[in-house]
Amino acid sequence: MIARARRQLGRVPRAGWLVFLVAFVNAAIWTAVIPPFQVPDETGHFAYAQYVAQTGKPPPEGPLVQFSPQEYTALANLFFFDVIGHNQERGVITPAEQSSLRASLATDPSPVGPGGMSSITNQPPLYYALAAIPYWLSPSHDILARLEFMRLLSAVLAGLTVLATFLFVREVFPSIPWAPTVGGLVVAFQPQFAFISSGVQGDSLLFFASAATFLALIRAYRHGLTRRRGVWIGLATAIGLLGKLTFVAFVPGIAVCLALIVWRSGRAGRRDAPVAPARTGPGVLTRRAAAIGAGIAAAVAAVPVAAYGALNATVWHRGGPTGGGFAGAATVAAPGQQAITLRDTLDYTWELVLPKLPFMNHAYFGYSPLRQVFFNGAIGRFGWLDYSFPARVYTLAQDAFVVLAVLALVGLWRSRRELLGVWPMAVGFAVMALGLVGAIGYIGIRYLMSTGVPFEQARYLFPLLPIYAVFVVLVSRAAPRRWAPALGAGLVILAMAHGLFAELLTISRYYG
Amino acid sequence: MRVRAVVAGALAVVVAGLVITLSHRAPRDAGSDHIVPAMFSATLPKGGELCQANPYLPPEAATAQILVGTYGRPVPALGLRFLDPTGAVVSSGRLPAGAPEGTVSIPISRATDPGRAAKLCLTVAGHSKVVVGGLGIPLDPTAEFVNGTQQNGRISVVYYRAGEESWWSLLGVLDQRFGLGKAGFFGDWTLPACFVLLLACWALVVRLLIGAGDETPPGAGGRGGTGGRGGAGQP
Repeated sequence: MIARARRQLGRVPRAGWLVFLVAFVNAAIWTAVIPPFQVPDETGHFAYAQYVAQTGKPPPEGPLVQFSPQEYTALANLFFFDVIGHNQERGVITPAEQSSLRASLATDPSPVGPGGMSSITNQPPLYYALAAIPYWLSPSHDILARLEFMRLLSAVLAGLTVLATFLFVREVFPSIPWAPTVGGLVVAFQPQFAFISSGVQGDSLLFFASAATFLALIRAYRHGLTRRRGVWIGLATAIGLLGKLTFVAFVPGIAVCLALIVWRSGRAGRRDAPVAPARTGPGVLTRRAAAIGAGIAAAVAAVPVAAYGALNATVWHRGGPTGGGFAGAATVAAPGQQAITLRDTLDYTWELVLPKLPFMNHAYFGYSPLRQVFFNGAIGRFGWLDYSFPARVYTLAQDAFVVLAVLALVGLWRSRRELLGVWPMAVGFAVMALGLVGAIGYIGIRYLMSTGVPFEQARYLFPLLPIYAVFVVLVSRAAPRRWAPALGAGLVILAMAHGLFAELLTISRYYG
Repeated sequence: MRVRAVVAGALAVVVAGLVITLSHRAPRDAGSDHIVPAMFSATLPKGGELCQANPYLPPEAATAQILVGTYGRPVPALGLRFLDPTGAVVSSGRLPAGAPEGTVSIPISRATDPGRAAKLCLTVAGHSKVVVGGLGIPLDPTAEFVNGTQQNGRISVVYYRAGEESWWSLLGVLDQRFGLGKAGFFGDWTLPACFVLLLACWALVVRLLIGAGDETPPGAGGRGGTGGRGGAGQP
């Protein structure tokens, strides 16, 4: 098995590994640029990982203190609570403040906290178990050194996400040699992705699991859903489900993809068979063989998830199989208000991405979440959402996006013959995307009703980064054939510039 | 060839944008007392004085910025003094009357020994009441005194360096600050190292883009291709 995996890795083209390296180094640079705990929710993610590292089990989630005394000491002396949300405030920027920070940490406050409930502790523990490895591998037991080593794990996951995206694009456009490089690199330099991936943040594993799932599914479609590919799909799904609960939103789409692959199996030689190299495509396997592959995928995904549920309920006593993971989603009514109906949820979800229609009975937003939250957020809202580019940058980006979207349509038309071969997967991926938006809407309305605070952030859509990579390749394909790689290269430089100026903005925010 | 031309042109534009951005001149931060002006935490009667413990006065501080409310009237003259434990003045400054209410910057003299500044005192001249931005805090040794009476609050003070500076001229300061408040192994070397790594990254990307652009699709000859793998290994 290991030898086979090594053989598989050996088949990844050199360009893929170089793109991985670029993504890792870029995210690693971000880990140094962002001060400790300034990535959204990093305090809670670190606390979870520290609890796992120190005790060997997930936090019990009681009404207890959230962080360890060591983390509280660090946060207080980093002026964390003054800095977040106040972009005129800086953290430690003078030698005197640095001395004070060092002196307070030298008092050796305990690294073991009680594991009290936070917005993070209901998540499954895979990312935190992984983060416990660099926590203990850190040559220093200093909390800030450990934090940096844990951040590097996220940077590795960013690299793997980009590598999976590279390979995914390669499967979508097998005859365009430059496409995977362009698609991978634009994701690598996406500043909001790099920023989130520079922190101790469970989203890093979610992004990787999502990209790996897209890759595993398209490979199974292109080359047949063998048992081995079934195992890969199951593994990617299990990693996602045990990494972050958001991944549950992908499960219906994955099921649709598997069903479509099985349905399309045994069609080799038919006119509508996918455009793919000879002796590949779902048609190379019988429908029965593909169904076995799908069954294996389901089993490989289900077994570890079931084991996690059993451990939650019986060993860790975390209040049931999901560890309270769906408690927020189970909110049926806001305090003192009427119940949240399915129609409310559908209206809210619709209004997240599209304008309100006349028959919708409630306007949930006084702005366009698609533009203000998701688009502008992807262009850049950093820190604990407390600093951004100047407003003109977002206006310019919106105008540019309109042009890019038109170009992508042209590119789609030019690529129609090639993409016709993967249309069933496009259907499945669309269901995955809809599932994600639906989950954001489902949780979002409940969060809004119970707290009065909007829930949505741009990063919640980042599990769809491989689709973003495909979009950029389509934009490039709008150019005449000989100019397409040049346009792709130009878009990569644009992404690099975007990332660079985001780093400069960050340096001015925290150190300027 | 086309890829090379586009990459070279795009990089030239990026470098030009970088130079313009880093040349922008503006007042630059020197530090603060880490109190967020979330509310008006002190009310000074006309001619009143507010004093509070001052944990730190940055050596390069040239102005002190505070948030002042005057109920629509012009801000009266303000005086600011930093005192050492014996009561001797370490640094001081004065803002003439007439500024509009809101955030005001009081020029202060360069302190000869800023480390000794243990207390700051803000005095209000004129005949109108003034409120000052800060935070409500419990009565503890850091809480403010207004006309000698301790109150539940602490005012916010943000310090700025002298004049307007470009990022180029601030590089040394940024380099030092970049290594602070992080793991112990970070230091003055970190920012230059990040820059070198980023340059290496960009160089690798340029090579990758040129390499990818130079590759010819197998059987190239039409839109959409026929399903080759572009020279990449078949997994």
